[in-house]
Amino acid sequence: MAEKSGLVERMRSTRAGEALDLRRRVRRLEAEVQECRALNIRLAELTDIVTELLLPVAARDEEKLAELLEKYRQSV
Amino acid sequence: MSRVRNASVDAEGVRARSRREAVLDVFFDGRRIVSFWLHRDGVRDGRGWLFAWPKTLHEFLDGTTEVRVVVTATGQEVFRGEVTFGSGRGRVEVVNRRGQPISLDKYLRRVVAFDTRSRDELVPMLDAIDEVIAALHKVGIEAFLAYGTLLGAVRGGKVIGNDSDADLGYVSHETHPVDAIRESFRIQRELVALGYRITRYSALAFKVDVEEADGTIRGLDVFGGFLMDGHLYLMGEIGDPFEESWIYPLGTTTLEGRTFPAPADTDRLLTAMYGPSWRVPDPAFHFAPPAYTVRRLNGWFRGLRVGRAKWDRVYSRKQPPLPAEPSALVAWAAEREPDTATYVDLGCGRGSDVLAMAGRGVSSVGLDFQPRSYAEAEARAVPGAEFWRCNFLELRDVLPAGAELARRPGPRLLVARHVVDTLGPDARQHLWRLARMALSGQGGGRLYLEFLARFGDDGYAKELHVKRRRPRMLVAELERAGATIVHRETIRVSDSPKSSKVARVVVEWRREDG
Repeated sequence: MAEKSGLVERMRSTRAGEALDLRRRVRRLEAEVQECRALNIRLAELTDIVTELLLPVAARDEEKLAELLEKYRQSV
Repeated sequence: MSRVRNASVDAEGVRARSRREAVLDVFFDGRRIVSFWLHRDGVRDGRGWLFAWPKTLHEFLDGTTEVRVVVTATGQEVFRGEVTFGSGRGRVEVVNRRGQPISLDKYLRRVVAFDTRSRDELVPMLDAIDEVIAALHKVGIEAFLAYGTLLGAVRGGKVIGNDSDADLGYVSHETHPVDAIRESFRIQRELVALGYRITRYSALAFKVDVEEADGTIRGLDVFGGFLMDGHLYLMGEIGDPFEESWIYPLGTTTLEGRTFPAPADTDRLLTAMYGPSWRVPDPAFHFAPPAYTVRRLNGWFRGLRVGRAKWDRVYSRKQPPLPAEPSALVAWAAEREPDTATYVDLGCGRGSDVLAMAGRGVSSVGLDFQPRSYAEAEARAVPGAEFWRCNFLELRDVLPAGAELARRPGPRLLVARHVVDTLGPDARQHLWRLARMALSGQGGGRLYLEFLARFGDDGYAKELHVKRRRPRMLVAELERAGATIVHRETIRVSDSPKSSKVARVVVEWRREDG
């Protein structure tokens, strides 16, 4: 194992190895950036639900809540 | 100037030679049918190029027609002649089921293009544009003509002949993707309250359906945008350095003799949309935004319609009669859960199980993202049967549905038949959340899953449009989501020696499961 990782290290130290390694890291970084970008939709969805539905929950207004839940579902 | 030579046309397609790229229009009996880029859309053929007839045209290619091939930019005719296809009987007719002449758009889809419409026929569309702009104004949004509609207006005051729909755009005053998305949700809600039907394309673009005088439904696309860090991001193609003053205050432009709002600097926006040569007509134009723009727009706003096209295709075909009996899974589940007070069909498809359960006197709800799938079942208005549009990729659908189902009487029987074998990991996570919420209501209940576990030679996967899922992987996923597996088995679906197999998994969420 130690020998193998030594080989990997030697490979990395060459210019071609470095380029390969960088390419792989950029690919991973791009995927991670996309994961973060996808949070925008999630955050907007959650904020929308909370702001539209949370107030009647806090007010414990059962009738209003049922009505709002129905209205929300119909409007998305 | 490109010189196109040696053009010929036969049953295979259009052949021509040209050292430089050239845009060509193809006419059948004097009517434009398709436009293409010779190099981009063609394949090498000896010393020239072959543009093969697109698949979307194949079914019409029977008979004889006079084909003309013309260089779009110069109008130079490079081929004219009678060409025979298939049986050769009669003239080639490229028309839709209603007999309207159709052509292919830049993505080679069949459309009823404006060049086949009279001026009078354009009036309802112009009215629809007016109506949607006014509705958006009512909810605080300053919309303007965008993409092909803006291009036609600015270039010549007319709709573009090869175009087939109207596009609107707006640029939000919000400066962060989250806020622009929230605003888009608000616009949708308020337009729904005004009585419009909305179909969402992405978190920042949607379609507004407008009913015309004769009852025809016309969909207008509304593309949202916003400015951030000196760049305009506008769905679905733009991410360019831009200034607010190039949009606001809005100016006007003229389309078919009527005045419509336009961005302050139409040249800048059209350059961002179509490049600096936007003044030169190119009916085969393809958007090619740089990869970083595509990545941004995809990451921020897209992913709500994954896998949708396949189901749209499935449900646009003629369907066999609705089965009167419940599926084997639902019959089995109903027998195991005799006290069920509410039946919920997650991904109900055509909705026959919902009707069957409602017919047995169990209050039933079917959820599917495509209302067309359950339209027939819903139209039967069976007492106790309800259908909800629910896209498992949208939390705004999933969470309120889960909350509402938790309020319905328990015990609940939730069934997802061949659903997890079409959903990706994101949608499955939402499905588990929805089920868990629904079952957390008083009286609890169980979730029954059936999915393809092994491919066979019986065509089962193709018939149901599903992919295989490993039961072990799905069980692990469910357990991570806090579920307890109460039953698990694998069943052959046919007598074939290499039969496909489906897995049945029954789960519940116990209070102590956390």
